[in-house]
Amino acid sequence: MIRVQELAKQFNGRPVVSGLSFDAEDGAITGLLGSNGAGKTTTLRMICGVLTPQSGSIAIDSAPASHDPLDRQRHVGALLDHIGLYARLTVRENLVYFGELRGMSPQTLNERIAHVAQALGLESILDRRTAGFSQGERMKTALARAILHAPQNLLLDEPTNGLDVPTVRSLRDLLRRLRDDGLCVVFSSHVLDEVRALCDKVVVISTGKLIAQGSPAELCAQTDTVSLEEAFVKLTC
Amino acid sequence: MLKQSLIIARKEIKDSVRDVRSVVSSLLYALMGPAVVGMVSMAIPRGAQGSKVLIGMMSVFTLVSAFVGGMNIAMDTVAGERERRSLLPLLLNPVRRLDFAIGKWLAISVFSLAGLAVNLLGFAALLGLPSLLITGIGILPLALLAAGLQLLISATCRALKETQTYLSMIVFLPMGLGMFLVFFPAAARGWCRFLPIAGQQIQLESIMSGVAIHLVQPIALGLLTSALAMLALLIAANRLQRDEIIFGD
Repeated sequence: MIRVQELAKQFNGRPVVSGLSFDAEDGAITGLLGSNGAGKTTTLRMICGVLTPQSGSIAIDSAPASHDPLDRQRHVGALLDHIGLYARLTVRENLVYFGELRGMSPQTLNERIAHVAQALGLESILDRRTAGFSQGERMKTALARAILHAPQNLLLDEPTNGLDVPTVRSLRDLLRRLRDDGLCVVFSSHVLDEVRALCDKVVVISTGKLIAQGSPAELCAQTDTVSLEEAFVKLTC
Repeated sequence: MLKQSLIIARKEIKDSVRDVRSVVSSLLYALMGPAVVGMVSMAIPRGAQGSKVLIGMMSVFTLVSAFVGGMNIAMDTVAGERERRSLLPLLLNPVRRLDFAIGKWLAISVFSLAGLAVNLLGFAALLGLPSLLITGIGILPLALLAAGLQLLISATCRALKETQTYLSMIVFLPMGLGMFLVFFPAAARGWCRFLPIAGQQIQLESIMSGVAIHLVQPIALGLLTSALAMLALLIAANRLQRDEIIFGD
C-alpha cells in the first residue's frame, strides 16, 4: 500500500506537484491519469526515491512515512520512463546485477529469474545480450528487472508506450495477475482506454494537483457523464 | 555498504572489457608513449642532453597514460548511463549514492592503473629499465586521482559530448605540467615536489636519472594525491545525490 500526503515538488521555482494526496491499496490497480506535464512522472519518481520532495510524506506498506528514500526503494519495484538495459550483458546478467544490488542470495536469484522469465516469456532470450532487442523484448526485460525482487508495490510510468498490440495485451494480463496476487500496482497514463481497461481506481491530476479520484464509474457519476473520456475532459478543462 | 560498491565495480569492469574496440584504443594509447620515445631515441644524439629529453618525454607519457586508461569507462559510467537511459533504473535500487560513486570509481581506477602498468611495461621492454617497474609504485595514487577527477566530470556534465570534451581536456593537466617542468626544470625545486602530478613527474625523472630521493617525498606525495582523489570522489558522490543527475540534457 502507498499513502501519499501533501506531496509537493518544484523545479527552478516552478511548482510541478502541489499538495498531492492519494492512497493506492493492495490488490488494486491505481491509475494516475493526467495530460502531458501534469506531474505523473515526477510523482512516481518521488515515490521511488529518485527525486526528493520539497514537502509532504510518502508511506509504504505499514511502515511510517520515511524521508530516507532507501526505505521506500526496498519495498517498491518500478518501471519508469527510462528502460535502459546494459547492451553488452545478457538478460540474465542484467537481472543478476540488479538482484545482487538488492542483496538477493544466489539461490533466490536463480529461482526468481526462472520465475520472471517464465511469467514474461523471456526463456528463449535469457542468455542473449540485449543489444539489438526489439522494443517489446526491452520492455519485458525491464519489467522482469522491476519485479525480480517480488516487490509488494509496483510502479509503472506509461508502460505501454511504443509497444505493439500483442505485447500490450500480455502486459495488461500480467498486471491483472499481479493485482490478483495482492500487489499494489500504480501506473501512470494519458491513454484513457488503457486506464478504463485496467484500473480499479483512478487519480486524476492536472498541473500537479489532485482533481478527482475514484473508480472509473464513480468519476463518470461525479461528472454526470457516460464515458471516462468525457469525465476527464470535464474535470481537467 | 562496500559489498554493493564491489558489485557495481565488477559489473562495470565486465561491461567495459566486453567493449573490445574501446579496450584496444586505450591499449594503443598506453603504448603510444614507448613507441614515440623509441622513435625519438633513434633521432636524437646520444649524451647527457639527449637522455634528459628522453626522460622528460617518458615521464610525460607515463603520467598521461594514468589519465587515458580510464577515460572510456569514466565517460560510460555516469554520463553514458544517463544517455542510454540506464542510470535511472540503477538509482531505483536501495544503494547509497556514495556506494554508487565508490563502485564506479573503483572500476575506473582499475582501468587507469592498467593503462599505467601497460605504459611502464612498454618502456621497460623498450629501454630495459627494470627500475621503471619500481617507479610505478610511487605514481600509483595518480591513477586513483585521475579516476576520481574523471568520475567527477562524468557526474557533473549534462551530456556525453560535454563529458568527452572535459575528459580530453584534463589529459592536458599532466601533459602541460610535464612539458612545463621539462622546459623549466628550475621550477622542480621545493614545494613542486609535493604537488600532485608535478611531484610525480619530478619523482619519475629523478628515479630514471638515477638521482636518489628521500623516501619521505613519495610517501607524502602519495598521501596528498590519495587525499585529493578521495575529495574528488566525495564531490562526485554529492553530485549523484542531486535531482539533476537523472535529467541530463
